[in-house]
Amino acid sequence: MKNRTVMIKNYFKTAFRNLIYNKGYAFINIAGLAVGIAVCILIFIIIQFQTSFDGFHAKKDRIYRVLSESHRADAGGISYEKNVPFLLPDGLKTAFPQLEQVVPIYASHNDELQILDDNGTPVKNFKEQNGVFYTSPTFFNVFDFPLLSGTYESLKDPNNVLLTKEIAETYFGDWKSAVGKTIKITGYYSMGAGLFQFPATPLKVSGILATIPPSTDFQLKLVIAYGTNFTGDKQYGFQQPNWNQSTPDFGCYVLLPPNISADNFNQQLKGYASKLQSVNQKGSYILQSINAVHHDAQTGNYSSKTISKELINVLWLIATFILLIACVNFINLSTAQAVNRAKEVGVRKVLGSNLLQLQTQFLVETFLVVVSAVVLSILITVLALPYANQLLELSLSFNTFSNPAIILFIFAITIIVTALAGFYPSIVLSRLNPVNTLKSKLKASTTKGVSLRRGLVVFQFVIAQVLIIGTFVILEQMDYFMNQPLGFDKNAIVNIPYRPDSTGNNLTDYLKQKLLLNGVQAVSFNSNSPIEENNNTFTKFKFDHAIKDADFQAITKFVDDDYVPTYKLQLVAGKNLKPSPFTQEFLVNESLVKSLGIKNLEDILNKEISIMGGLIKCPVVGVVKDFNDRSLHHGLAPLLMATNSTMYRQASIKLPTVNIASTMQTIQKIWEQTFPNYVYEYRFLDEKIANFYNQESQLAQLYKICAIIAIFLSCLGLYGLASFMAIQRIKEVGIRKVLGASIANIVYLFSKEFIILISIAFLIATPLASYFMNQWLQNYAYQVTIEWWVFASAGFIALLIALLTVSFQAVKAAVANPVKSLRTE
Amino acid sequence: MLLNLKNIYKWYNVGGNRTFILKDINFEVQEGEFISIMGPSGSGKSTLLNIIGMLDEPNEGTYNFLHENVFKLKEKQRAQLYKQYIGFVFQQYHLIDELTVYENIETPLIYQDVKTSERKALVADMLDRFNIVGKKDLFPNQLSGGQQQLVGIARALIAKPKLILADEPTGNLNSKQGEEIMQLFKQLNTEGVTIIQVTHSEKNAAYSSHIVNLLDGVIKR
Repeated sequence: MKNRTVMIKNYFKTAFRNLIYNKGYAFINIAGLAVGIAVCILIFIIIQFQTSFDGFHAKKDRIYRVLSESHRADAGGISYEKNVPFLLPDGLKTAFPQLEQVVPIYASHNDELQILDDNGTPVKNFKEQNGVFYTSPTFFNVFDFPLLSGTYESLKDPNNVLLTKEIAETYFGDWKSAVGKTIKITGYYSMGAGLFQFPATPLKVSGILATIPPSTDFQLKLVIAYGTNFTGDKQYGFQQPNWNQSTPDFGCYVLLPPNISADNFNQQLKGYASKLQSVNQKGSYILQSINAVHHDAQTGNYSSKTISKELINVLWLIATFILLIACVNFINLSTAQAVNRAKEVGVRKVLGSNLLQLQTQFLVETFLVVVSAVVLSILITVLALPYANQLLELSLSFNTFSNPAIILFIFAITIIVTALAGFYPSIVLSRLNPVNTLKSKLKASTTKGVSLRRGLVVFQFVIAQVLIIGTFVILEQMDYFMNQPLGFDKNAIVNIPYRPDSTGNNLTDYLKQKLLLNGVQAVSFNSNSPIEENNNTFTKFKFDHAIKDADFQAITKFVDDDYVPTYKLQLVAGKNLKPSPFTQEFLVNESLVKSLGIKNLEDILNKEISIMGGLIKCPVVGVVKDFNDRSLHHGLAPLLMATNSTMYRQASIKLPTVNIASTMQTIQKIWEQTFPNYVYEYRFLDEKIANFYNQESQLAQLYKICAIIAIFLSCLGLYGLASFMAIQRIKEVGIRKVLGASIANIVYLFSKEFIILISIAFLIATPLASYFMNQWLQNYAYQVTIEWWVFASAGFIALLIALLTVSFQAVKAAVANPVKSLRTE
Repeated sequence: MLLNLKNIYKWYNVGGNRTFILKDINFEVQEGEFISIMGPSGSGKSTLLNIIGMLDEPNEGTYNFLHENVFKLKEKQRAQLYKQYIGFVFQQYHLIDELTVYENIETPLIYQDVKTSERKALVADMLDRFNIVGKKDLFPNQLSGGQQQLVGIARALIAKPKLILADEPTGNLNSKQGEEIMQLFKQLNTEGVTIIQVTHSEKNAAYSSHIVNLLDGVIKR
C-alpha cells in the first residue's frame, strides 16, 4: 500500500518535472487545450442559457401557448402565429372549464409614460418600446414572477399597474416609494389592420415585481391590469362582441390540469375551432409547450429573441469539433515528443517498469496538463464572457455557485479530454522498444504513428475549412441582404415617431411645410416603412364585392400621398393616392394583383377592396411595382396602401445631401416644439434594415471566431507535427544539405507533404460545407449562390496559414548545420 | 594547388576555458594527391575534414580553395563551390532511407539543376561503372554495408568532383569490403580525383600518397 502511494507521488513528480523541462511543448499543449475547452465552456453556458428559457416556472410542464393555425397563400399551406382573437381566452374558459388557468396577454409597444407628482403635474417622460403588458392576475398563477410589494390581485381592477423593481427605480428613484404613485400612459393598440390611439390614461402603481430574470421571453417592465382602457372597451376595443380576427401581439396562455395531455386537448380544441369558425375559415388552434416557445423562430415570441434547435445543434457540433481539434493537437504533440522521451522510456523499462506503469505515468502527465488547461480555460472564459455577451446581446454569467451544471460539465470535460488526449500517446510512448530507444534508433517504432497523425491533421483542416467556408457564405448572404436593391430608396431617410391629433391633415401639413422650408428633400407620414420585419399587419379582405374573403391576406400600410415620391416607389398602373385625411383609395402591389389571378395590371383599377369587416371599402387607383415589403428572410407579400391620418405613426424624412447634422438638429427642434410631452427619437431606415439581420450578423461573428480558433488550434497541431518531422528527418536534411540542397529545397521538402494533406482536407471540406451551407440558405427566401471563389479562398487561406506555420520549423531544420546531425559517434 | 589552410584555429568555450580542437593548422593540398589524416579519437580529424568540406567554419584562419578565399565568399557562392568540386563519403554511408539506389545517386544532380535526360545518362554511367545496375531499384536497407558504401561513393562521384572527402569510409565495413573500397579510391586517384580521407587504420593510410598526423588539434611532423 505504501509502495503504491510512493509510486503515485513519483508519477506526479516526474510528470511535473517533465512539464517544467519541456516548457515550450507544455505551453503549446496547455494553451491549445485551454482555448478549446474555453470555447466548449462558453458554448455550454450559451446553450444552457438558451435552453433554460422560462424553465424556472414551477408549473412549466403544464403551461402551453395557444397558436392560431391558418392558411396563407404565401406560406404554402399551414402557418402558425402567436396572435389570437380577443374573444378566444374567454371562449376557452367557458368551453373548457377543466382548464386550470386561461391567460390573455397583450404586448404593447412604443408607449409614452408620464410621471406625475402628488399634485398631478408632469415631472418626467419616458418611452418604452416594449415590456408593457396587459394581462390578468391569472398570469401570475401560471408564471412565477415574485412580488416585492403589493398583490397580484390588484390587477383585477382596471388602471392598476405592477412595475418591476428596475423600472420603479428609473421612474421614481426608489422602488419602495413608487407604490401608490400615478403614471399616465399614452399609446396605441392594434386591431386588425388598424393602429388606434387611446387617450392618456392614469395608472396607479399597485405593486413591485422582483427583478425579471434574463432567461424568460416575458421581459416585463410594466404589467397593466387587463380591462384597462382599450382592453376593456366593448365598443372600439378588445371586448367587441363580434370581433373574430386575431390581432398582433395579443396572445393566450393556458395551464392544463395534470390529468390532461396536450395531444388530447388539441383534439378537443380542433372540434371547438370548427364549431366556432365561419364557413370560409379553415383555421384552428393548437397548443405549444412553453419550452418550445424560445426555439420557435417562425412564430416568434414577446422578447423577439429565438434560437432554433438546429442552431443549438450546430453550436454543440462546433464545440465538440473544436474540443476534438484541441485533443488532436495534444496527441500530435505528445507522440511527436516520443522522440525526446524515448530514452527515458528505455531506461525505465530496463530498470523494470512495466507497460501499465508507464502508461499510468503518461496519463498522469496528461491529467496534469489537462487540469492546468482547465484552470486556464476558466480564466479565458471569465475574460471572454463579456465579449460574448456583447456580441450575442445576452447577459450570461459564469456563476459556478448558482450553476452546479457548469461544475459538472468542467469535471466531465477534464476526464473526457484526459482520456481522449492521453490514451493514444501513452500507448505509443510506453510501447517504445528499449533496445532501439537506447541506441537512439527511433525510426521503425515511431514512423507507424505518422499516418495516423496525418489523418488527424486532415481531420483538423477539414473542420477549419468547413468553418471558413461557412463564415464566407454567411458573410456573402449578409452582404446580399444589405446591398440587394429593395425596390425603394432607403438612403438618407430618417424615421421619427409621430403622434397624430384629431385635426386630420392640419398637423401633418404644418410639419411638412416647416420641414421642407428647412431644406429636407421630401416628407411622408405613414404607419410603416416600406420594409418591415415583425411590424407588418396582415389583413383579410374582400375583393370586388366577393362574399368570401380572398384566400390570402395582405399587408396593410397607411401612407400619405407623399409616400410614393419619398421612397421613390414606381407606379406601373393607374395613379398615386390623392391627399386625404381619410381612407378613400387603395394602392396595391403587383404581387397582390397576381395573387388574385388577374393577368393585366390595368384590370384591377377601380375595383373595390373591403377590409376590417366592411368598415373600409374603397376602389383601387394604382398599382406599384413590387418592392421588398418584408425582410429578405421572406419573399415579398401582397400589399395594400391607403391614406388615413389617424393611422400615421411616423414621419419619413428624406434628408438633403449636405448639412445632415444641422438638418437633424432643426428636425429635433421642430419636434420638441410640436410634441413637448413626448420623448424625441429618430432612426435611420438603413440602420433599421441592418437590424433585421442581426441574428445573421451574430451568427457570422460566431462562425468567424470559431473558424479563427479552429485554424489557430489546427496550426498549433501542425506546428507540432512539423517539429516532429523536423526531428525525425534531421539526418535526411543533413545529407541533402551536404549533397547541395539549398534552404529553399528543404523548405519545399517539408511543405510538399502539408500541401498534400491540406489539399485532401480541402477535397473533403468542400462538399461537406457546400451541403451544410446550402441547407442553411434554404431558410431564406432570397439566397446567394455559393461561388467557387468561396471554396478557393477558404482553401487558399488554410494553405497559406498552414505553410507559414510549417515553414517556421522547416527553415529551422534547413538552416541547421548538417555537421551536427551527421556527426559520427 | 587545389587548396590551402593557413593558421586555422577552432575552439569551444567550456565554462570560461577555451578548449582547442584545432590549433594553428597549416596545410596544403595539390591536385591529384591522396591524403590520409590520422590520429586518435578526439584529435580533431573530422573537424578538419568538415572545415575543408566547408560544412564547418574555424574561429580563425584562412582557407583558399582553387585560389578563392572561402570564408570571404557569400553563402551562396560557397555552396556553389562545394556543390561543384567536392564529394562526401561517410562512415555511416548516410544514404537517404526513403530513396532507391538510383534516386540516391541522382539527388546531387537534382540540386545542381541538371536536366532530366542528362541526369539519366550520368546515373546510368555511374551504375554501370560500379556494377550495381541490378540494384538500382533497391532501397538502402536491402543492401550490404559494402554495397551501401559503393552507392555512397557513386553518389559522391556523380557530380564529377575534383575532391573527395571521406570520413572513415571503411569504418563500418569488414576487411574484405574495406579493401575493395580502398582499391576503388586508389583507382579514382589515378584517374585524377584528389582524395582526403580520415582513417584510424595504418593499412588504409598505406594507400595514400601523403599522411597527416593529428594529435590534440596540432599537426605532428
